[in-house]
Amino acid sequence: MAEFQKVRARKKFRFLDALEKPIEVLIRLCGWSSIIGIAAIFLFIFKEAAPMVPKLDWIHFFTSARWIPNPAPGNPPSFGAWALLVGTFATTFIALIIAVPVGLGAAVYISEFARGKGKETLKIVIELLAAIPSIVWGFIGLMVLGPIIKGIFTAAPGSAWGKIMVAFHLATAETGASQGTNLLTGGVILALMSVPLIVSLSEDALRAVPDSFREAALALGANTWETVRRVLFPAARNGLLAACMLGMGRAIGETMAVLLATGHNNRIPEALTDPVRTMTATIAAEMGETVHGSEHYRVLFILGIVLFIATCGINVASDLIVKGVKKANQS
Amino acid sequence: MKHTTPLHRRTLPPNLVGSDSTPSLTLRSDRKRNFRDAVERVLTRSWTTCLSITVAALTGCGQKESTDPGAAGGQRPVVITQKPVEIRVKGSDTMVQLATGWSEAYRKVKSNVFVNADGGGTGTGFAALQNNTCDICDASREIKKEEIEKTKTVTGKDVKEFVVAYDALAVYAHPSNPINEISIEELREIWAENGAVTSWEQINPAIKGKIALFGRQNNSGTYDYFREHICGQTSAGKQRELRGGISEMNGSAEVVENVSKTPLALGYSGMGYKTPDVKWLKVSSKKGEPAVEPGTDVARSGKYPIARKLYLYTAGEPAGEVKAYIDWILSPEGQKIVEKEGFVPLK
Repeated sequence: MAEFQKVRARKKFRFLDALEKPIEVLIRLCGWSSIIGIAAIFLFIFKEAAPMVPKLDWIHFFTSARWIPNPAPGNPPSFGAWALLVGTFATTFIALIIAVPVGLGAAVYISEFARGKGKETLKIVIELLAAIPSIVWGFIGLMVLGPIIKGIFTAAPGSAWGKIMVAFHLATAETGASQGTNLLTGGVILALMSVPLIVSLSEDALRAVPDSFREAALALGANTWETVRRVLFPAARNGLLAACMLGMGRAIGETMAVLLATGHNNRIPEALTDPVRTMTATIAAEMGETVHGSEHYRVLFILGIVLFIATCGINVASDLIVKGVKKANQS
Repeated sequence: MKHTTPLHRRTLPPNLVGSDSTPSLTLRSDRKRNFRDAVERVLTRSWTTCLSITVAALTGCGQKESTDPGAAGGQRPVVITQKPVEIRVKGSDTMVQLATGWSEAYRKVKSNVFVNADGGGTGTGFAALQNNTCDICDASREIKKEEIEKTKTVTGKDVKEFVVAYDALAVYAHPSNPINEISIEELREIWAENGAVTSWEQINPAIKGKIALFGRQNNSGTYDYFREHICGQTSAGKQRELRGGISEMNGSAEVVENVSKTPLALGYSGMGYKTPDVKWLKVSSKKGEPAVEPGTDVARSGKYPIARKLYLYTAGEPAGEVKAYIDWILSPEGQKIVEKEGFVPLK
């Protein structure tokens, strides 16, 4: 009986042995697939945009806010995307200002302070939050959050609140926000969408710090807060930064929610509650009805390239920052 | 043959293959042949057609039971001999509701004709007409010269135009707004590029604050129409464009929705989209002239300054079921649907 088992084990081993090479190749392919995928996507976008690249007035594209892709008969089109760029980065910036502190705070609370049932419930609820589709977030922005923000940022002309709003660029006029769907609404919606991502990734990063670090800190007389700030944050630095970057990626690339919640209004915002328009929403709203191969179609792909380069740039920069911090710590 | 049985159950409307309540033997063999034909037809068609027939069958089932109680008699064979026909309609988003209304009502007139009404925009509809992916194009503007020429070169046919209804673009404002009327000139300075008016007190001192503008996205027929009729010409004789800083909405109802939530709003959208939460501004062609409230009579007579015709276009003279459908749309029965959907009928 024992001999039989030994033979079986050897047979199994041989079988796996023969499979080792193909499996190795397969795993290598999986590893490379993301690079292949990115290259293919970039090639596709660039191929669609390429005929327009030499023809486009790039200075106009980056400095003018005059976006008239479908002019009246007889007029030349105007592809000025400056307001779209500003809109995209402004909403993302507002979203990050809200989402990073809230997300990191929640992660620290869940991983270091919460205990037992409360901890489990919180984790489940936050994961549920991540499962809400973006169009639903857009509707919440349009129907619920918009009117609330409009209500807060409204004042009688000449009142103190009106003057404060103008002085601090909270609104352009003393009467307050002109409409409920604006930069702030879009930013808050995007923040709500990226918080779950930031929380669960940061919580993972914090949990990955060995308990011996915590024990050592406590043994030296640090309280929980000091442990978090002086020991856990530096130790989990890379993971936390990656979490924030992924949150930012989610915010910058989001389309449906910002299409509904920002007002889709092509202008340079002068205040927090001015409506804006993002590159993603522009692509989504206009791509469906452009003639395939027209100038307008190609310029929408150029917008896609700009978006792509921006996110790549942010990711590379954050990588370099992480490396820089590492080096500084080692020396 | 045996593998096709479930397919027939899934895809064919029951009134086309006859129901099991018909007892006659001769009918049964008849039905068998018809059934084979039908299966072949279904198999050779694209899946979209199958899908539309499925949908039609599902909705048809419910109707049949209520409207056709005497089906068990000898009347079935009459229905059996008719082949299902699909009419593909595409075009203006403004007219989608209307086109769907017509298609639903027409099923009661001719149960074997399935009208597949789709939106996408007037420009998209004309493109589909050229590519022969639709039979009828809904249009909220007149066809352009180059579109006529392109259709001629691609399909070899002249486009045929039918005026089927009128639509008036209404100017919407919040009910709390003290202003009740506005002139085309004022609208021009509010909406056109480099226009002088950006806040309400420039129109009327009774209301203060910046005007929040809500319009349609730049590839909709409504946008084109509003630009053409409101913005006028520049000093160089070119069409003036709409200004930046307008919230461009993806649907007509969305414009009205946003205006109802924004006290300082001004928006334009089809007349059919009014809700109790917004109000129409009366429009005059010139300041000082009497302002006209949008309505059916004034839209038809041209007294209301921002009214337009709604069209159907076909490539070449329509024939067969398409012609019958258009004739029905122009008949009093079809025009009743126009009124029901909030547009202005021809008469």
